[in-house]
Amino acid sequence: MLIEIKDVYKIYGEGLESEVRALDGVSLSIDRGEFVAVVGQSGSGKSTMMNVLGCLDIPTHGEYYLDGTNVRELSDRELSRIRNRQIGFIFQQYNLIQSLTVLENVELPLIYQGVGADERRELAMEALERVGLLGRIKHKPVEMSGGQQQRVAIARAIATHPPIIMADEPTGALDSHTGHDVLRFLQQLNKEGSTVILITHDNGIAATARRCVRLQDGKIVEDREQEVDWL
Amino acid sequence: MNIRQALKMALRSILGNKGRSVLTMLGIIIGIASVMTIVSVVNGQNQQSLKQFEAMGTNRVSVSLSLYDGRDCFQDLYNYCNSLGKDLVVGVTPSGYANATIVYGTKNSNAMQKNQENMFSENGTVRTDVELPPDLYYGSDQYAVCNNYQLEKGRDLSFLDIRQHNQVCVLGARAARNFFGYADPLGKDLSVNGYPFKVVGVYAEKDPDSAFSQDNVIIFPYTASRLLSPGQSISDFVVKAASREATEEAVTRLNGFLSGLTGNGERGWGNAYSDNQWQNTLNEQAAMMSMVLGGIAAISLLVGGIGIMNIMLVTVTERTREIGIRRAIGAERSSIVTQFLIEAAMLCGIGGIIGLSIGTVATRITGKLLVHMDIWPSIPITLGAFLLSVVLGILFGIYPAAKASKLQPVEALRAE
Repeated sequence: MLIEIKDVYKIYGEGLESEVRALDGVSLSIDRGEFVAVVGQSGSGKSTMMNVLGCLDIPTHGEYYLDGTNVRELSDRELSRIRNRQIGFIFQQYNLIQSLTVLENVELPLIYQGVGADERRELAMEALERVGLLGRIKHKPVEMSGGQQQRVAIARAIATHPPIIMADEPTGALDSHTGHDVLRFLQQLNKEGSTVILITHDNGIAATARRCVRLQDGKIVEDREQEVDWL
Repeated sequence: MNIRQALKMALRSILGNKGRSVLTMLGIIIGIASVMTIVSVVNGQNQQSLKQFEAMGTNRVSVSLSLYDGRDCFQDLYNYCNSLGKDLVVGVTPSGYANATIVYGTKNSNAMQKNQENMFSENGTVRTDVELPPDLYYGSDQYAVCNNYQLEKGRDLSFLDIRQHNQVCVLGARAARNFFGYADPLGKDLSVNGYPFKVVGVYAEKDPDSAFSQDNVIIFPYTASRLLSPGQSISDFVVKAASREATEEAVTRLNGFLSGLTGNGERGWGNAYSDNQWQNTLNEQAAMMSMVLGGIAAISLLVGGIGIMNIMLVTVTERTREIGIRRAIGAERSSIVTQFLIEAAMLCGIGGIIGLSIGTVATRITGKLLVHMDIWPSIPITLGAFLLSVVLGILFGIYPAAKASKLQPVEALRAE
């Protein structure tokens, strides 16, 4: 198993009257090459799930094995390395650094990987070419439309060729047409072998994935294979 | 991530946020430049006053004495001072101001009057090469001791010069240069109101930087006043005390002597007071001035510092998000802190250097325009102001980084 969580809890204000269980005893396994949609309403714990799976947050209880390694035992340096090399993130709000140009944003994970300048530029350009943004590499994010910014974020996520892609509501801020493009791109990445985890509240969007995991109040209420809506 | 990468990244971040960078530097620039300028100019002026005091000499007692019957009372004062002994008083001289026209060859003191128009050079400093008319004083054989002159060549006025009404004089260094240039003045005759006065000595230079230098003087035996300014009686004298303590004692004794001589004011008036007193007062005023202006400067540095702090803290949210993003795509804690440290140091260093440059120029300009002096910034003040603002800037620059890098990436990403 590539990803395996066992009985994971994420509890805010534990022990207090007002404690919130964002994840309430969740167990889940995801194999290499899967395309999994995690669906749930707002507050169901789906974003918390992605943060835990993406090593952006540490669960309160429970174990998380990534590629056989217990994440809890890793140092900050090792966790940073995993986020850098194993996972590519795509966020709803793009999360680009506004002061950097498109090219610099895409190069950033490669810089932290220690890739030399020439190779870095080559990899970044390759990623930008895949999302069709080669013509705008000198622009700043604010000079671009939402769809273009999300494509920059995708280029950044795939520039390091990570085995896992995690997308948190990647179409949430986009119109249906550009959202459609983004989803098709995720399916394409999955076909090429990447493991894709897609977080969404929208059943229609979830239909683009082979496997659908439904969350409600921090618990998995449904986990099934489904017909894929190929885009 | 190596240091070169971190440097590049910091530079990119600085250039990418020009507005924020300029605002941060502005605080540093204004803080450093204002402190440098204010404190340096005041310091420079104080040092100039101190130099003039030193040239004049310390432990002087000024005596004013005049008798209504017009009798010359210097002899009485002279005898009394001699009776006090060398432990208390080391010299006494009249300090009467003479008014006469001095001519030597083509040089004429009346013609020198108009040179006062050219006293300031084009860049605002005083010129010391302008020939201004000399100050003429009547003195005794102890004039040099009392006024802190050292003989450079020839001889000083002698007791016999005084007694025999000799028509001789001694020149201050600048007066000698103005009238004789590089020629040897010794043995030459100056024409003083038409009377020949032989130059017997030249004093060493002691006040080279002032416009109205204490070196631009000519000293005559006070007995020559009968020839040069008949009817003028000399009423100002200087007594040189042996030490600071002796000064106070001498003032007391002299005042006793003077009230005896003048019959408690019935036959004339007399008064002795220490120059140390007004030197002290002036020094105190200068110190006070330094403190007040230094305080103002410190406040502007503080305001600059708060400015730096503000702009750094205001951007915390923005920067926290940025740190969250960087962490999410794989930056380690140490890379984040290194990057922000370098960024703050660069920003403050550049701002600091700009501040230093502006401060230096401002000090030079203010010095010339306001106090007509060639002032360079004081090094300890400059260094202090520079270090303080740079340290402040760096501290508040890495503060958000240090704080945000400790958060879980997801918490930093959530910052709003």
